[in-house]
Amino acid sequence: MSIMQYNGGSVIAMVGKDCVAIASDLRLGNQSLGISSNFEKIFAMTERTYVGLPGLATDVTTLHEQLRYRLNMYTIKEERTMEPETFIHLVSSTLYEKRWGPYFIEPVLAGMQKTPSGAFRPFVASTDLIGCINFAKDFVVAGTASEKLFGVAEGLWEPDLEPEDLFETISQTLLNAVDRDAYSGWGAVVHVITKDKVVKRTLKGRMD
Amino acid sequence: MPDGSYERPQQRQFNPYSENGGTILAIAGADFSVIAGDTRQSEGYSIQTRYAPKVFRLTERAVLAVNGFAADGNMFVKKVKQRLEWYRHAHAKDMPLRAIARLIQTMLYAQRFFPYYVYNILGGIEEDGTGAVYSFDPVGSYEREACRAAGAAQSLVQPFLDNQIYFKNQTPAPGTNHPTHLPLPDVLSIVIDSFTSATERHIEVGDGLEIYVVLAKGRSTQELASIGGLQELSTRAEGDRMFVIRRDLKKD
Repeated sequence: MSIMQYNGGSVIAMVGKDCVAIASDLRLGNQSLGISSNFEKIFAMTERTYVGLPGLATDVTTLHEQLRYRLNMYTIKEERTMEPETFIHLVSSTLYEKRWGPYFIEPVLAGMQKTPSGAFRPFVASTDLIGCINFAKDFVVAGTASEKLFGVAEGLWEPDLEPEDLFETISQTLLNAVDRDAYSGWGAVVHVITKDKVVKRTLKGRMD
Repeated sequence: MPDGSYERPQQRQFNPYSENGGTILAIAGADFSVIAGDTRQSEGYSIQTRYAPKVFRLTERAVLAVNGFAADGNMFVKKVKQRLEWYRHAHAKDMPLRAIARLIQTMLYAQRFFPYYVYNILGGIEEDGTGAVYSFDPVGSYEREACRAAGAAQSLVQPFLDNQIYFKNQTPAPGTNHPTHLPLPDVLSIVIDSFTSATERHIEVGDGLEIYVVLAKGRSTQELASIGGLQELSTRAEGDRMFVIRRDLKKD
């Protein structure tokens, strides 16, 4: 089995009306053996930028540290916070730097992007393990349950969902997808991001 | 070689199987059954035809959907139909659904060591008038269920069905329960949504959609009146009735 499936785990992000949501499972496994049901793979990079890092667990930690370092350097030099669209390019170049010995991670990003007028617009994107960016208008998925996530999300998602409806949609999509995946599950966490607040909820789901 | 020189050992192999894509799906209602499949047939990245039916009428009240290796699938359906004809000659009636299910098991298991490379889903009406779905693996292991998806987009469709048919991960409002069977219009909407979703994200699914609807004897056909692309297949209006709905799916 591929190294991408070694530890299991899945992430999904969706666009709503003036909001975005990003959600993941909490499983860390060693092939079919469950190790932890408290392994978070979504990280807050800025106040309005969240990144999910499903894939090889050792690289989840390493890549998170690497991205945090580069983001901090940018913040210090530029004296401003990084926007999500900039951040996904940082992720992309960080991954492509290791083109011939990649981090086994497929990052998923969700954030509120500042527009020239000073307002915020929802933004999601994902990349493959060598940094090829996918700018999706609706939703992005990654991880061992990605096929299932695509199927359910394609059926449930609709444009312009309000934060509470977006939360319901992303939660149902994630829970039902991971319940059909042996390598994902064991709890779930959802972040709903709006321009002035982030709501994090831990979901009760099947623990088998 | 006889002259003392060496040659590399050669190996040849014939692979008798291939995989022809597509997806099938069936959902049972209280007194009806819906069996659907797309009509694209492909091999690798090439489309062989945009119209190759995967869903077949077996009797007045039984429909079989076959997915996997098309050659095996067509041969298997041919043989099942032949066995059902023999049954009619011997017993002067159609074989009941649960008996067809058991027949399919024995026919599949007879090929245990050179299997038909197909996933079967059998749908229809039982003798007691209830809607039924039976799903099989390639060697005949089977089970009666309320719904099942199989084929190329099984992994996309099945979790969606878990959510929409079995109401998985949904809590009913206090003092209420989830329905065990959905009404026909809801089922048809879910089937069409499932295939449009699968077509959107899976390259092997698309072109056309055939939805077979089997209604138990005496059941109203009212809910089908407004459906476009409907054709009746049953010959007698007094028994169980069968319809097919043909729809286009995206061709890209």
